[in-house]
Amino acid sequence: MSRFLITVPPLVGHVNPLVGVAAELRNRGHDVAWAGLPDLVHRLAGSDQRVFACAMPDRGLARSPELTGPAAFRFLWDEFLLPLAITMAPGVTHALDTFTPDVVLTDQHAVAGALAAERFGVPHVTSSTTSAELVDPLAGLPKVAAWLTGRLAALRDGPGGTSDPRFSPHGVLAFTARELVGETGPGIHVLGPAIAPRRTEPDFPWQDIDLDRAVVLVTLGTANTDAGTRFLTEAAAALHLLADRVQGVIADPGHVLADVPLPAGTIVREYVPQLALLSEVDAVVSHGGHGTVCESLWHGVPLVLAPIRDDQPIVAGQVVDAGAGVRVRFGRVDAPRLAAAVDAVLDPATGHHAAAAAIGRRLRTGDAVRAAADFLAATAVPRRRGASASR
Amino acid sequence: MTTDLSTDPAAVLADIAGMLRTVGADLGLDDVEITRATTFHDDLELESIDLVVLSGALRSHYGERVNFAEFVGALELDEIIALTVGRLVDHVVASLAAAA
Repeated sequence: MSRFLITVPPLVGHVNPLVGVAAELRNRGHDVAWAGLPDLVHRLAGSDQRVFACAMPDRGLARSPELTGPAAFRFLWDEFLLPLAITMAPGVTHALDTFTPDVVLTDQHAVAGALAAERFGVPHVTSSTTSAELVDPLAGLPKVAAWLTGRLAALRDGPGGTSDPRFSPHGVLAFTARELVGETGPGIHVLGPAIAPRRTEPDFPWQDIDLDRAVVLVTLGTANTDAGTRFLTEAAAALHLLADRVQGVIADPGHVLADVPLPAGTIVREYVPQLALLSEVDAVVSHGGHGTVCESLWHGVPLVLAPIRDDQPIVAGQVVDAGAGVRVRFGRVDAPRLAAAVDAVLDPATGHHAAAAAIGRRLRTGDAVRAAADFLAATAVPRRRGASASR
Repeated sequence: MTTDLSTDPAAVLADIAGMLRTVGADLGLDDVEITRATTFHDDLELESIDLVVLSGALRSHYGERVNFAEFVGALELDEIIALTVGRLVDHVVASLAAAA
């Protein structure tokens, strides 16, 4: 039996893929604890999980809708991920001290996990939950890359490793699709998405699903409630244009469509049971969050993607390159353009459906959770042997 | 071919504005006024993928005389955030003058 510490940021999409991995490790008899935000881990992974509480930056990741592009990148690191590395450090250190894990599995953006493991001499494995960080997105911007690596290096106090804390020398487990990332460098294990079964699913009026029209799910994920008003309003107008052939199902957590007229049969819910719905829908309109993209492709569903910021433009580009979707402009797309994009992915002649279906068939043959648990167990074993037999 | 290119800043601005309208055809930039002060990100909402396309447009118009990748690669993060059309125009004018 080995002990595994899982270090996560307070971001749903970064925790979700590891829920199954934690459960698999426990089923194999290993001891698992988390370091992160207890409420979030308990909500997503179950209240029986042991969580070492870590302090989080006060402001969270709240950003105005206008903050996009390189300014959003600067904000993400300067105002959130780098402060997060500092606020999480004491909690992660306490976890290493008291739980004494054999291996730390640390999210790529919870840098505190990598740095603390390094200080304790405990091997760490990186969990990557987006396909965007694996394709060297700053390759053409050497000064920006240097800006980030300089800030990451400054987080190390005293002696320690020299590796990039986003990419462990012990290996990177990438919970994404090969069809998105393409070829990757050494040490990066592309395992496929780890689809997390939800612990609780919101109610849904399944009897209202229209069998005579294509069903299209519109969702901007969990983190963009405030940014979506204009886009969702255009989406509602697009559904009017498509009303004879498309039924819309809209996730509207911010209730921004409360006073917007919708075509008959449109289903608007604060939250939707996304996994169950993906078995029923013909296309998804999304901001391109990596979790939603992988879950859609897993179910063989093509996408219309309106990326807002961060990794989303890269993920959207990867989906387009894979032939499984089309991209529109989040900030500028209007109803006619959005309706045309939906028609395009629904049209069998464009090949989007076939491409998504082919990707889905391949993804469903994989078992990212088991592969991750195998890798982690193998990383722990040599350490055990090394501890007992002096070399 | 790319002979006899004007190094007049106003002409270069007009050329680049035309390229940006092509790059951003699906952005609805047709009726957006593009000046030296127009910013790539806040005003035009261009993304890195658009800059790749713009790079190709610049190459087909100016040939090897203008190296957009080198221009962008030399920028600091804050400079990229604040990048204006005028700064690219100046770079193109200087590159053409150096190659002449």
